[in-house]
Amino acid sequence: MADVHLRHINKCFGPIEVIPDIELEIPHGSFTVLVGPSGCGKSTLLRMIAGLEKPTSGAIEIGGTDVTGFEPSARGISMVFQSYALYPHMTVAQNIDFGLRLMKMPTSEREERVKDAAKRLHLEPLLDRKPSELSGGQRQRVAIGRSIVRNPKVFLFDEPLSNLDAALRTQMRVELAELHQSIGATMVYVTHDQVEAMTLADQIVVMNAGRIEQVGPPMELYDNPQTEFVAAFIGSPKMNLLPGQAIGRDDIKSVGIRPEHLETHMENGKWAARAGVIENLGSDTVVYMETDDFGSVTVRLPGHHPLRTGDRVFLTPDEKHLHLFGKDGRKIHAKDALSAPAT
Amino acid sequence: MTSKTFLRNLLRVTILCVIASFVIAPLLATALGGFKTNAEIRTSAFGLPESWNFEFYNAIASDPAFWRYLGNSLLISVLAVILTLLVGAAAAYVFAQIRFFGSRMLFSYLLLGLMFPFATAILPLFIQVRDIGLLDSYWSVILPQTAFGLSLAILLFRTFFEQLPRELFEAAYVDGCGYIRFFWRFTLPLSTPILATVGVFVFVQSWNNFLLPLVMLNSREAFTWPLGMMQFRGEFVTEWNRTLAFVTLTIMPAIVFFLAAQKYIVAGLTGGAVKG
Repeated sequence: MADVHLRHINKCFGPIEVIPDIELEIPHGSFTVLVGPSGCGKSTLLRMIAGLEKPTSGAIEIGGTDVTGFEPSARGISMVFQSYALYPHMTVAQNIDFGLRLMKMPTSEREERVKDAAKRLHLEPLLDRKPSELSGGQRQRVAIGRSIVRNPKVFLFDEPLSNLDAALRTQMRVELAELHQSIGATMVYVTHDQVEAMTLADQIVVMNAGRIEQVGPPMELYDNPQTEFVAAFIGSPKMNLLPGQAIGRDDIKSVGIRPEHLETHMENGKWAARAGVIENLGSDTVVYMETDDFGSVTVRLPGHHPLRTGDRVFLTPDEKHLHLFGKDGRKIHAKDALSAPAT
Repeated sequence: MTSKTFLRNLLRVTILCVIASFVIAPLLATALGGFKTNAEIRTSAFGLPESWNFEFYNAIASDPAFWRYLGNSLLISVLAVILTLLVGAAAAYVFAQIRFFGSRMLFSYLLLGLMFPFATAILPLFIQVRDIGLLDSYWSVILPQTAFGLSLAILLFRTFFEQLPRELFEAAYVDGCGYIRFFWRFTLPLSTPILATVGVFVFVQSWNNFLLPLVMLNSREAFTWPLGMMQFRGEFVTEWNRTLAFVTLTIMPAIVFFLAAQKYIVAGLTGGAVKG
């Protein structure tokens, strides 16, 4: 078993407290994605699991063993870095092999494992090249190869795809998902890209300012965000957050409605608006609108749509999908949400 | 447009030629002087010799003492280079990798060595070396030379090492590689430009050093070439042609070493120049 438990983790850099108190459980075999804006402490958390940073207080358990005081190499983890951190003076084979040599593994077994990893990641023709002779995607695969040969209990990824171009990123995302399915090991993945989080994860941890906002499967976070922050962070285009007055509630901070849960009518509806920029994506159309009273709103309409910039329309939200957030930014549960009168 | 660039290039080449001639002329005069008679050296120092006399070069090359001096110089210089590179790189590695209490002060202290004139130190150095009992041995030259080379070495090494990406160490650390192994397996192999730069500086300085061997070495067996050169300087006559032939033959290794490492020196110096 290789579940990861973080118990009351606190981390300070000098006088600055980056992580006040985190309690997190990462189940065995899960693909857990830590997601949040820059500086929210997600990378620090990952580096503490790796053993590259020591927590100021608290304990880290991997597979039931307290590894807080262990060296990274003794924790049964491996890590893929954002910049790949390949060893520039070694060939691909030596890069993959390096950790095994340090483990004093017999040559035959080492060769076997390197061959295996190279085959799995389509690196066989590149084994004798230096990292400088590889493309971005190939380097990334070498970095992943370096981590899988060690058969770690837990894989750690620190924004591994952020240096790749968009097309390659999509491809590598699929490869990572396949890798997780075939290996079945626990993976912890840090990113600030919520699309990566939604597509890869079976558990997402949304972090903000050193705190965990919400933990759950991607669809739960999408359908049922517990805080205003999660609501705004998960989903693309972003959820619309309007002031409470939009649904006649002055006692709440904001009301959220996803772009696909807004209907447009030309004659009547709840909110009057004017269409601004229109993005035709083929499968659907995203329209950025300006309402008369509550600021800008994004609407996603299915398929092609005849709407043109400057058109006057009325918007009606699907009331089943309204998310109400109280003054503290937390969700107010739906049963009392619909009592508001229409304006 | 093209005539303008041509003129600019012409100017550039002219200036370069003038500067190069400042460097080459003395070297050429030295090399040619070895073929001339003493009288001819006085009358035409820079001209081609009237007749090419190989006897002075031959005499020096066939003198076993010359090879002895050369061997001594080579041994001392190479050991000084190795020692400076090892100690300097190890010290700089610590300064670059590990933050510890007093590291900045210690570093500044080591840099003070840059401002310390060698000649001032010669008397206390002599007394110290005598007290340790190293006088008249190779080490009496190697150790002080290493010590005086360290300031520059540590300064250049630290700047270079700091530019190695931090994630490289972290990746190796996760793979199970500690600080010391990382130094041997990563820092040194990835720092060849700066190692070559410092190596050449130390080598040339040690090779050409006159004062220190003069003070420390007494027996002819241990003489380095600058001391050996003095044998042609009599009380009344100085045999300039022999001296020049001797110098030509002895600076050859330094020039060859410099040319071989030249490519790295430029890279090493500009690499260190970005951050002071």
